Amino acid sequence: MTSHTAKARALVREPARPARRGGGLHAYLFVAPSLFGVVAFLLLPMVIVLVLSLFDWELLSAPEFVGLENYRRLASDGETWHSLWVTVAYVLLCIPLQTVLALGLAVLLDRRIKGVRFYRSLFVVPWMATPIVLALVWNWIFDPRDGAINRALELVGVTGPDWLSDPSWALPAVALVSVWQHTGYNMLFFLAGLQGIPKELHDAAAIDGATPAQRFWRVTLPLLNPTMFFVTVTNLIGAFQVFDTVYAMTNGGPGHSTEVLNFRIFETAFKQFDFGYAATLSTLLFLIIFLVTVAQVRFFGKRTTYDLS
Amino acid sequence: MTKRILLYAALAVGAFVSVFPYLLVLLTAFKTQAQLTSTAPWLPGWPPTGRNVADMLAGDFPRFVLNTAVMTALLTAGQLVFTTFAAYAFARLRFRGRDVLFWLFVATMMVPSAVTMIPLFLIMRELDLVNTWWGLLAPYVLGTPYGIFLMRQFFKGLPAGLEEAARIDGAGPLTILLRVMLPLCRPALGTLAIITVISSWNSFLWPLIITSGDDTKVITVAIATLKDGIGVDYHLMMAGSLIALVPMVAVFVFFQKYIVRSVVLTGLK
Repeated sequence: MTSHTAKARALVREPARPARRGGGLHAYLFVAPSLFGVVAFLLLPMVIVLVLSLFDWELLSAPEFVGLENYRRLASDGETWHSLWVTVAYVLLCIPLQTVLALGLAVLLDRRIKGVRFYRSLFVVPWMATPIVLALVWNWIFDPRDGAINRALELVGVTGPDWLSDPSWALPAVALVSVWQHTGYNMLFFLAGLQGIPKELHDAAAIDGATPAQRFWRVTLPLLNPTMFFVTVTNLIGAFQVFDTVYAMTNGGPGHSTEVLNFRIFETAFKQFDFGYAATLSTLLFLIIFLVTVAQVRFFGKRTTYDLS
Repeated sequence: MTKRILLYAALAVGAFVSVFPYLLVLLTAFKTQAQLTSTAPWLPGWPPTGRNVADMLAGDFPRFVLNTAVMTALLTAGQLVFTTFAAYAFARLRFRGRDVLFWLFVATMMVPSAVTMIPLFLIMRELDLVNTWWGLLAPYVLGTPYGIFLMRQFFKGLPAGLEEAARIDGAGPLTILLRVMLPLCRPALGTLAIITVISSWNSFLWPLIITSGDDTKVITVAIATLKDGIGVDYHLMMAGSLIALVPMVAVFVFFQKYIVRSVVLTGLK
């Protein structure tokens, strides 16, 4: 989503046109409902989170101002650092895999072969599935005794692990569901990006004697940078706040092995009613997502010429 | 030749993996408890039974489906109406503060939804809207910054001067928007509608937080509680999943060209 910030910045620089008749009042009326929504349900909540993180509030008692106490508590809260690590591990398990797979599929489909449209549609099918529902389906697939995976492994004489009740397999299993769900959708973006690359560039490189592999690394990949930027930014933002699949598949367990940060925020607020501290954790999550996004803008900014109009 | 075979093999594996969980829902939803263990998960149970689906439909489930449908319809209608107005103003009207305001909208796209959940809950609690339709719908019915961005890009892409003729004839901005611009917007509105329908139908965390009674319970929350209620009765769970998935699959089959188009519209160049 952050590409839009960059876009907005470019838009602000638009040359001013003479004011048109009929703007003014109508324009404000047109914008008013959405503006109210953005202020009341996006900006105000952000302010509330920041303010609330300075309070101790268990909902029933009156909120008590505690300054930076919540942040001090955060610094020495081993469980939160653990859940932060779980979140990072989750992101590392799913993002590289689903990006590479999506790109690979897009490259395979970026040619004139029979049934391209058919395959393209099938690959997107996982994306529109209700995450919570699909998580339950995957629970059934991962079922240690009757699930499809272990039944299939049995056929080749392998005893599969207890997947979701095994602390070392639970997180990879949850990450796998994310890969399954997002690969096809990301593929659409890569496919659109690939089709936007002028064919002449490939031809020119081929004439200069570049092998297909060289053409991929030197021509295709650099020109896909804007797509790569968009896909990785939106995917990372999504992955850092994963909730649905964890809630439905493992409930943060076994132990705390799949307790990602967003799940911990939910538990802290709505199970322990520790709203002040939950707000502190939300601030932490926001900060992380913000920094990761800024890092990506910088990384890709150097390598990309972006049409921002 | 071998290259071609490998290509098709890779595509076939991808397609199989994509569809397999859906297939499993379909197969399992029509199995009896006994068939659950006696047959392989990827084979149909014989004879198939309609009991599971019938059982699910006999309970409160249809009501939750209806709740979800109502929520989805209202959120989509709100998104289309309010987003169109705001996006049109940002794209084609001049007014003081336009660029600052638009920058504000775009900046809010960066706010992770996870971060706003707690304050949104507290706001609704202050307003006494917890566990009401108003509380469920309010944060999302006025349109999303993402939708406004999408529609604005589309409006900007329409030829300049479209409005001039109508304006000379004395039409105001509202008439121009409804009579001149809107008929041209069908593809973009279709895309936005599909995205909103899918994300509303699938939404989980906010409904989970803000609602608790059956009056406002949506299907995602109902299915999550199903899991706690019936434990590992996968045949019932899959029957419920089937009911929840069918509308989305239908939407996808009929409108997939809009979904693909949304990718192009997002402004990837």
